[in-house]
Amino acid sequence: MIPGLSGDLVTQVFLLVATLLMVLAVAVFYRAVKGPTTQDRVLAVNVLGTNTVVVLALLAEGLGEPSLLDIALVYALLNFLMAVAISKFTVERGGVL
Amino acid sequence: MTELFAAALFVFVLVTALATAALRDVLGVVVVFAAYSLGTALFYAFLLAPDVAMTEAAIGAGVTTLLLLLTLAKTVRPTPDQWLERPNLPALAVFGALFVVLVATVVEFPAVGEPGVMWDNPGVTQYYIENAYEDTGVENAVTAVLAGYRGFDTFGEAVVVFSAGIASLIVLRQVVFTRE
Repeated sequence: MIPGLSGDLVTQVFLLVATLLMVLAVAVFYRAVKGPTTQDRVLAVNVLGTNTVVVLALLAEGLGEPSLLDIALVYALLNFLMAVAISKFTVERGGVL
Repeated sequence: MTELFAAALFVFVLVTALATAALRDVLGVVVVFAAYSLGTALFYAFLLAPDVAMTEAAIGAGVTTLLLLLTLAKTVRPTPDQWLERPNLPALAVFGALFVVLVATVVEFPAVGEPGVMWDNPGVTQYYIENAYEDTGVENAVTAVLAGYRGFDTFGEAVVVFSAGIASLIVLRQVVFTRE
């Protein structure tokens, strides 16, 4: 907790920032839908994955649930998988794993 | 503030789901579906089901994309002739009917976290709430029911999933062998 601020206000700020990031996620998602290349889409979803990690961390503080941090860690660890798989898929056709 | 966040999350999940249904390019759908999975995992986390959110994280971010890409690699990817799928009117009608039924059901549900509501079976629910920690030593009551009270059931599910994984590994390996 930040000293000099009431805990309730800080919680509200965490939730507000999480909400704003969710609104921005819709804007990022526009690039994933519009493309035009697959690389654009993969990059957009990668940004969304990082966004999800941050939102989960903010929710853990905002909702008072530290167990959500574990999920954020799992996402931070797994986020690169799709980018690697699709890159291999486009460079060498058929090689995904 | 939590309601505002829920609204933003709801809009995101709705947009991603619509995009997954409407996009024409198959590879694009695989990528967009990963974004939808991110949204649903956030929903599980927001509704305080961390175990389900963890599963969705592992499945959605890792396994589903890999499986779909493997399928695309083993089959053919049709070149998209247009950006968006043309809507199928009979399917839309069926979906509309299902939507009306689901909304009519959901409206009848008690609100999430509403005190004093014992869903469906009051006696059993009360027993789990009171005794789950002493019986199993697990803090989360949902996890206690899943892994403690109905542990054999979950074990059976795990066996099914494990054998399905082994079977798909055998199939994938066979395709590789025939190509060489």
